[in-house]
Amino acid sequence: MTQKQFILTLEGVNKTFDGFKAINDLNLYMDEGELRVIIGPNGAGKSTMLDIITGRTRPDKGKVEFGKDTDLTKLNEYQINRLGIGRKFQTPSVYIEHTVFENVWLSLEGSRTVWSTLFSRITSAQRERIHEVLKTIGLVDKAQTKAGSLAHGQKQWLEIGMLLAQNPKLLLVDEPAAGMTDEETAKTGELLMSLAGKHSIIVIEHDMVFVRQIARKVTVLHQGNVLCEGTVDEVQADERVIEVYLGRKKKAA
Amino acid sequence: MLSNKSISKRELLLLVIAALIGIVVLPCLNAFVPPASFFHVSNFSINIYGKYLCYAVLAIGVNLLWGYTGLLSLGQALFFSLGGYALGMHLMLMIGKLGQYKSDLPDFMVFLEFIKRFPETGGLPPHWIPFRSFWFAAAMVVVVPAVVSFVFGWLAFRSRIKGVYFSILSQALTYAATLMFFRNDFTFGGNNGLTDFKFILGHEINSAATKRGLFIASAVLLLAVYVVCRWLTSTKFGLIQRAIRDSENRVLFSGYATANFKLFVFVLSGIICGLGGALFVPQVGIINPSEMAPDKSLEAVVWCAVGGRGNLLGPILGAVGCNALKSYATHSFAEQWPYILGGLFIFATLFMPKGLIGLPAQLMEIKRKFTRKNGDAAPQTAPADVAFESATKE
Amino acid sequence: MGESCRLEIRNPCSFLFIHAFLVLLHLAAFASFAASPHRTNLVEAVLSEDLARQTDIIKSLVEANDPLIEQALTAWRGGSLYVLETNDTKTPILLDPVTDAEGSAKAIRLIDGEFVKGADGKPLVFAVADLTAADATSKLRKVIKATLDLFALGNPNPAMRRDAVIKLGQEQNPDYLPFFETRQKTEQNLEVVKALSEAVATTQLLSEDESVRLAAIGRLGTMRSINGLNFLQRLETEAKAAPAKYGEKTADALHKSIRDIQDYIQWGNFFGTAFRGLSLAAILLVAALGLAITFGLMGVINMAHGEVIMIGAYSAYVTQNVFAKWFGASGRGFDCYFIAALVVSFVVAGLVGLILERGVIRFLYKRPLESLLATWGVSLVLQQIIRHIFGAANVQVNSPSWLSGSFNVSDVLLGYNRLFVIGFAVFVVLLTYLLLTRTSLGLQIRAVMQNRHMASALGVRTDRVNMMTFAFGSGLAGMAGACLSQIGNVGPALGQYHIVDCFMIVVLGGVGSIVGTVSASLGVGVTNQILEPWLGSVLGKITVLAAIILFLQWRPAGLFVTRSRSLEG
Repeated sequence: MTQKQFILTLEGVNKTFDGFKAINDLNLYMDEGELRVIIGPNGAGKSTMLDIITGRTRPDKGKVEFGKDTDLTKLNEYQINRLGIGRKFQTPSVYIEHTVFENVWLSLEGSRTVWSTLFSRITSAQRERIHEVLKTIGLVDKAQTKAGSLAHGQKQWLEIGMLLAQNPKLLLVDEPAAGMTDEETAKTGELLMSLAGKHSIIVIEHDMVFVRQIARKVTVLHQGNVLCEGTVDEVQADERVIEVYLGRKKKAA
Repeated sequence: MLSNKSISKRELLLLVIAALIGIVVLPCLNAFVPPASFFHVSNFSINIYGKYLCYAVLAIGVNLLWGYTGLLSLGQALFFSLGGYALGMHLMLMIGKLGQYKSDLPDFMVFLEFIKRFPETGGLPPHWIPFRSFWFAAAMVVVVPAVVSFVFGWLAFRSRIKGVYFSILSQALTYAATLMFFRNDFTFGGNNGLTDFKFILGHEINSAATKRGLFIASAVLLLAVYVVCRWLTSTKFGLIQRAIRDSENRVLFSGYATANFKLFVFVLSGIICGLGGALFVPQVGIINPSEMAPDKSLEAVVWCAVGGRGNLLGPILGAVGCNALKSYATHSFAEQWPYILGGLFIFATLFMPKGLIGLPAQLMEIKRKFTRKNGDAAPQTAPADVAFESATKE
Repeated sequence: MGESCRLEIRNPCSFLFIHAFLVLLHLAAFASFAASPHRTNLVEAVLSEDLARQTDIIKSLVEANDPLIEQALTAWRGGSLYVLETNDTKTPILLDPVTDAEGSAKAIRLIDGEFVKGADGKPLVFAVADLTAADATSKLRKVIKATLDLFALGNPNPAMRRDAVIKLGQEQNPDYLPFFETRQKTEQNLEVVKALSEAVATTQLLSEDESVRLAAIGRLGTMRSINGLNFLQRLETEAKAAPAKYGEKTADALHKSIRDIQDYIQWGNFFGTAFRGLSLAAILLVAALGLAITFGLMGVINMAHGEVIMIGAYSAYVTQNVFAKWFGASGRGFDCYFIAALVVSFVVAGLVGLILERGVIRFLYKRPLESLLATWGVSLVLQQIIRHIFGAANVQVNSPSWLSGSFNVSDVLLGYNRLFVIGFAVFVVLLTYLLLTRTSLGLQIRAVMQNRHMASALGVRTDRVNMMTFAFGSGLAGMAGACLSQIGNVGPALGQYHIVDCFMIVVLGGVGSIVGTVSASLGVGVTNQILEPWLGSVLGKITVLAAIILFLQWRPAGLFVTRSRSLEG
């Protein structure tokens, strides 16, 4: 590979849990502005990979770099977040006792020290920005609603909105379509696609219809390793992928 | 909703009335109304009320952690007592030669022959010496709980100890501290603690006027603590506090160093508790290690649970109510008090998750459910959470 | 003779019978030695006025293996050997311990052990006031005592023989040496042999002969004689004061032997500490295991766990009382009570746990902090109930005879009760392990521990599993309480003393891990015991707590981590 500038580099990453190899010599390179979809059966190590990128889990060995030479393995969650890596979790995690507006406000980029939160007041620029985010995720009229009383799909969007408010360079989105209606799924897909280019995005997904909708490049993970990479059609035609997903017997090697 | 940015007129009015009653009306009824009158408030009552107010300060401290940040600390009575000990040390040195041994040294130091351990200071342990100054002691009331809570909090939050683990460890801290203070050679009076105070700031500590003054001071402290907490919880910091309670990892993954936020709240709560303890000690006239035992912390948690946590009035209500009940019960049927306290705790956690403050809303919810069920076979909606949510919408 | 005092006399008839029997026995015993030369000598000594002669005779009596002589010497020393003077003949006599109504007793002649008889052939009775005691100067008394002590060398009971040897050896009296050496030739019992050689060496320390002295010093050193240490140290001080007299070799030998013995004592202390630590760990283990299981399964910290332990201890107390009523307060029947108590406390505590789970905890599974509070309320109530029933003071739980006493393994005392507790803990851990791995309940428990929702979806009746687990965990706590009743006090606050330790172990060991709980108990128990002699129990405890908090900096989730994949794991 040419010495190109990747936004995210994973090289030779390994992680073992109690003897189980969750991630096994994983290599992944992300271009800036890319929208990458990662698929793989349960236990393929997709979520663990996100854990490693976001500092939730430390890899046993391997290189995890953000941008030119920021080593992510030395940093913890909030430091990584401040670099501009936002993550949406599999189950929607929003602050259920806070209003939608407050949820976005807390996620807005800016100083995050104790002191600043004590004495800063919300500025009109910030209000505008929050409004803008709410418009993007279609929750403007819910601004003063408690997040806990939103519908499931709306919570998913709110969480994406919270990521957007941080204006991250890299978005990690874990199963955004889970539990959504077809219509909501389609809308989510549009949202993600509109974000690509401005942001680099990794999406983990199971729903192949959704994947087909958004994906340009797909990476298939299996047993903590990259099985293959390519367009949706290429990947779906790949023998190994079919085997992994459908459990077909190995043809004579 | 309590997270309102601005204080509502109704709340302001209530606050002013409560402050007037505490700071002006009750002391006046004590001082100027003749004892025979129905409206007279006796010296005894003023003293008791002052004690309740100090407990209310403690309860606010507990609530700031538990109700707002989701940290159930079983160590707040420790900070309360540390504040109390800091002021108590000063009061001990103010006794002068009026003690039993007619010595400049506090009685227990004479009794334990500290002169042998600290001959170069005439028997007074060196760290006691600066406590001759009231202002030094007053500073220590804040500094000691702050330092202890900072060190413990820093260790605990740094290693991400949370939930019941945090509770258990804070209990262990309190337990260890209690054991330490029980030791005579720890130089704080051991088992008996510090007692037999005579003067505070030159005033006789048992006179009616001093007691009245202490009561007013307690009321002012409570008001101040209330206002500070009210302000704190309405800032962005307050939002983050509650966000940590509801989903700490989300806050962490949003770029906030949650450990720092928790540490700030923990230290602040420690200081608040210490202040409460400092005013508590001159009013009850004694501070000893049993005041900091884990059970006391748990009792303070009961007040919050009974009054209603996650808002500022609940703990005050709970602290005053529970202690009034305790005074009555331990007088009339001491044997049964543990049953009442234990039962109260079980009942409150099982059936009143939002405490007394949330009770009206809870009852209304039950009533609504009931009528709806009777009206038609409506689908069962309104899970318990909704009831709790509406409870906070005042 | 002393036996007769302990026999209860129910009716006059049996009294007569017993008395007659005793008299017969008595006569048979003493009469068989009639006219032995030793008795003649003794009579001579009693009547003699010559101290030197008396001394010689008394010393020679050591070889007489005769109970009457021993009795007579004891009496002489104590001033109750009498001389009966009739018609110019002086007869030394002893008074029979059986006295009549007036306090008079029959007299036993020293020479043949027969009663002194009157003209009618019936034994005469004498009152103490009418008799003259045989003289014994203090010097003579000393001689008598030495002889009596040496008699003990022939005592048929080996333990008493050993004690006598040790005592005599410590007197460092060279006169005893020949007796020790005689005894050494015939002694069979190993402990007595050891004591004899120790006694000889101790006595020889004072020898003027350097080679003998050096050998003795060396022997005490190789024997690791704890009794000899004092004497060696005393000699060392003397040798330092007068180096010329003792010489360098002695000093060197002393130094080496003392160091050997001290090292040995240190090892002994170490093992003793380790043993006590192990037994403390065993109790903590049994107490904390239940907590670890329920916490691991339900994420619920049961603050009333300590009270469940206390209830176990009180169950043992009640069982003891019931057995005492049935079988009397001692004997084999009573001794069995503890086995029953273990079962009873398991059942009672298990029931309490069951009620607690059904009544309170099951409503609070999703609110762990509140369950902590509610169970604290329960603990207050339970304590007060116990206070109401049994009073606030501690109650007395007696150990059955098979749990009191101890082993002596190379000078380290291993109490049976502590040994039992250690064995019991091993048993309980095995039982729990088998329950979790070999039974269907165990399979269900593990399934629920890993993923409650999934287990529930697969048809595991999770609330039944909760209930059973909680009952089992509480039952274990109850048994821990029964064990504690054998080692410490039983009172309403019993649970409070141990609960913090239990919590720490659960935190330290990691949730729901048997291995973790075992290692954490061992760590806390042994550390506690090691620190205690240095820091005192309070500071030791505080240090352990501080160490745990610091340890968690390094491994926040405890020794053995379980992980989950959800956000708020």
